[in-house]
Order: sequence, then structure tokens, then C-alpha cells
Amino acid sequence: MGSRVDLLNHAGYREDGRTQHELRDFTVDLSKHGHADGAAAVTHGLTHVLVTVFGPREAKSRAQTMHDRANLNVELTIAAFSAGERRKRSRGDKRILEMAATIKSTFEPVVQTNLYPRSQIDIFVQVLQQDGGLLQACINATTLALVNAGVPMLDFVCAVTGGVYSTSPMLDLTLLEENDVPNVTVAVMPKTGKVTLVTMETRLHVDRFEEIFRLACAAAKVLHKEMKDAVRHRTAELVSAMGAGHGAPDRENTMIMDES
Amino acid sequence: MSLSKAEKSYIQTGLLSNPPLRGDGRTLDDFRPIALETGVAPLANGSAKLIIGQDPHGGGGGTEVLAATKLEVENVQDEGADGGRVVCSVTCSPTAYPNLSPGALDDLQYDMTTILHQTLFHPSLHPPNLGIIPGRKSWLLSLDLVILSDTGNVYDALFMAARAALWDTKVPRTRSVEYKARQSGRNAPKDPATMDVDPEEQSGFATRKLATATDFELADYWDEGEDLGGRSGWPVAITLNLVSPTHFLDASPPEDSAAPQKVLLAFSFPESSHTKLQAIRSLGSGELNVPQLKELIATGEKYAKQLFSALNSKLKEEDIRRSQKARDRFAKR
Repeated sequence: MGSRVDLLNHAGYREDGRTQHELRDFTVDLSKHGHADGAAAVTHGLTHVLVTVFGPREAKSRAQTMHDRANLNVELTIAAFSAGERRKRSRGDKRILEMAATIKSTFEPVVQTNLYPRSQIDIFVQVLQQDGGLLQACINATTLALVNAGVPMLDFVCAVTGGVYSTSPMLDLTLLEENDVPNVTVAVMPKTGKVTLVTMETRLHVDRFEEIFRLACAAAKVLHKEMKDAVRHRTAELVSAMGAGHGAPDRENTMIMDES
Repeated sequence: MSLSKAEKSYIQTGLLSNPPLRGDGRTLDDFRPIALETGVAPLANGSAKLIIGQDPHGGGGGTEVLAATKLEVENVQDEGADGGRVVCSVTCSPTAYPNLSPGALDDLQYDMTTILHQTLFHPSLHPPNLGIIPGRKSWLLSLDLVILSDTGNVYDALFMAARAALWDTKVPRTRSVEYKARQSGRNAPKDPATMDVDPEEQSGFATRKLATATDFELADYWDEGEDLGGRSGWPVAITLNLVSPTHFLDASPPEDSAAPQKVLLAFSFPESSHTKLQAIRSLGSGELNVPQLKELIATGEKYAKQLFSALNSKLKEEDIRRSQKARDRFAKR
């Protein structure tokens, strides 16, 4: 399929009209969701992910509790109608378990789990639509949901996918591009510039890696700004709704104010 | 949600008092506001999102159900059936039931799948236009529902979302393709008399005309296809929560656990004939006698009729909104 579509034409435009380094439309919805302590719905173009966070709370089973820190429990569900072809994945599906484990290991060094010994933080990821960049959407949504739930973290985690088409690097790949182009997903903590995840399922020439990696890190900074704006907007909304704008701002708000 | 005896009795006393009192100030037969949008999943053939009891100030919350249908082509010889097949599945997101273990969640969604599948895909409601080539190809319609959050009254929400998604479903137009051997032309033998060929004759016993179409193609047309047949017949369900001697609708989670017994009734309202009771199910502990049940069915029908006409007018509004949107987009080009 890909061979008939020009992924990057002579004028430097991709099949969806973006330039090489252009990201897709990024929207964030931080409104309340059911009983969840924090929720975030994120879209990267047509990829749509909803993440809810419960906790820190008592673990369901004693086996999962740790005496010195909280356990992160990540569960991923993919809606059967999210992709072009209907496919129902069960809970034990290898791909789902792998992605959940990736998300968990990305967030373990960032969430300050040592503050909540013998407890559990549940992160439920629901994929509603997929069009490439699934992992990046899951990670960005999880960051925002954790922030929304008031779980203390060292920094935001911003993820972005980069690929290379012959020799030209591209950012934020769609499904069509992802199928044809070697790609790498990078998750960055933008304040410190530390990287918590680099993952690749395709082969990429070693000479191209550095270029893409640097580009993805720069793109993560752009996403960080967007995410911070979304959180600030939401918090300002909540503060004004409480009528407490003149009083002591809540903790989430001060954290963000310090940062900027 | 588990309640103490005192909390349960408090809620029940409120419901039985005169006038009846509910936690959120509704009367016994009041619903929370229902929000519905169709066409929410671009990769599906039909989809809908339904929220009962959303915070009116845009704050989210409420029971949220996402429903989508997808059509796939099946060979009748393999697993398909002539005239198409329909399957339904309900998925409970762990978000909706954060306190359930994975095993309990599976049981719950299996239970919901059974109720929906048996009610919606009863032979009497089978859509007529799911066949492609008789005896060869047909559509498999799969309806997937995802419960994103549950703050009470999930069955009514599931049935409404399913009805909206099925209403929204468009079946692509197909044209059958036939391959025929060339009867005459340049390659035909000049003089048939020189060859010893039996002339093909139709047997007098062959009363059945075999379909000659072997394959199909999608007709190139401006819209996504025609509506799924029998769209006005899809049922709506109403849950009657019983606190004897009275009943109430659209229970919130505490009320839900305070009502010991519920009766789920699914009605369809065909345009041509009488109201049909498509399914009835008693949920929870407790017993009902026949005169009580008769009365409940009669009142349930009244509620369902109101719900049905409200849902219909909303669905028609959505149809107009979406076709208007499509026209505007076309005009902008």
C-alpha cells in the first residue's frame, strides 16, 4: 500500500500535507471522568487515547504491595473498532501486555512512588482510535492524567515518534508512515532533558539515529509547552470555579507556577 | 457500591415517603439529562457516544457508553450465513469498575453481552440488507460497546447507545459482477455443424435459477451507503428499580444498591404494528407475582414509549446535523 503513496513529495510535504518536522493537531481534555481521581483524553491527529488514574490507594492484593514505595499498575484496553480492521484483543494479548509494561517502566523513575509506601496507583489506558503514534499518545495522556490526579512527579514525560524516509527525518508519524518507515519513540523529561524511554520495533541505520533522536527531544519540548498550557488552563478554570482565585492557590497550581 | 444498612434504609424511606424524595431532587420517573452524539468513530460504519447524567457545566462525569458497528465481508461457505450475521460484544473498561478484579470484570461484560446480543439480534429484528451475493457473500455486522464509566443505569445507556449506533450504520452499496463465457464473436466456431457439440438445454426439472454472480464490487457513490434496514425497529430498554410497592427510573449508584430488585424491559415500536416486548429480565434478588409483572410491563411500556420518541427525535436531529456538515464541507471545496 505504501509504495503507491509518496510519503514525502518533492515539495517537502507528507501524504497528509504536513512538512517533515510538523506535529499533528494535539488536543487535551482534562475534565472529570466517572469516579477517577484524574483523567486525560489526548488526541494526536486521529489517534485518541483516554487515561484514568486511581490512587494512590490500597492495593487489591497483598502480593502487589511493597513496603517502601507504591506499585504502578498499568492496564491497557484497545477498543475493537479503533483500527481500520476490527480486531478484539483479549486482556492477556502479548502486544497489550508489552505496551503496558513499556508505559510502566517509563513512569517508574518519574512518579515519586517512595512517598506512598504499601499502596498502589492504577493507570487505566483506553485506546479509542489509532492512527500511528499509539505509544506516544498513551505516554502523554498518562502524564497528564497523573498530573490531573495530583500524583507527585519529578517532571512531565513527553513522548514523540520520529522516523526517517530515505535520508530525511520526520516527526509524529501516522499509521501509513509508521508501516513504511523505520521509526523510534522517545520519551523525554523536558526540564532536565533526561530520557526515560527509547523504543524501536524496526531497524534504523545507526548514522541516522542521532539526528532523529535529537529532533525527537526538541519536539518533546514543544509538546511539553502544550501540555503545560493545558494543565494551567484547567487549573485556572478550577480555581475560578471555586471562587478562590484570590486566596491560597492549590498545590497543583503552585507547582506549575514555580516551574515557569 | 456497597452501602450500610442505615444508608439503604435512608434511601428507601426517602423513595417511599410522600412526596417521594431522591438524593438529587428528581421525581421517581425522572431521568438525568442524556447527551448523545453519532458518528464519533471515523473508522466505524456507524457509531454513537451516549452520556447519562453529565455535569451540566461541562465538568464531565456520568455514565458514558461508546458504541460502534463495523461491517466485514464473509464467505457464506465458510462461517457466514446467507443474509448476513450479527454479533455483539460489550467491553467494560476497568475505569468504569475500578474496584473489580479482572475476573469479575470479565463475568460482568459476558453477562451484559448476553443480554444485548440475545435482545438486539433476535431473528425478528434481523436487518434485511446484509446479504451481498445470495449463497456466496454476506456482511458480518459486529456491534462493539465500551462502557467508559458507570454511574448507574448502565443497561438503559447500553441499549440507547446500541440503537443510536445501529441507526447510524451505513451499509456500502455493492454491485455484483458476473463472468460470462463469450457466446459468439470472433472466437466462436464458424460452422457449428462441423463440431459435435450438444446444445445446452435447460432441464424442465430445474425450477431454481442459480445465481450466476461470482463476485461484487463497491459502487462508486458520493455517500457512505444506504441505511441499515429495519432501523426504526431497534428496541429501547427501560430498567424499573423496585422498592416495593413503588418503582423508580434511572438509579444513581447509591439508589442502585438500595433497590433490591430490578426489572429490565426492552420494547420495540415498529411503525406498522403493535408495540413488541423484545426482552424481559429480572435482576437482583426478590420475587414478583404475575399481576405485579403485568402492571410493570404496562407502565414500562409507557416510559419506553417516551424514551423512544425522545431518542428518535434526537437521532433525526443528528442525521440532519451530520448531513448538513457534509454538505458544508462539500461546498467549501
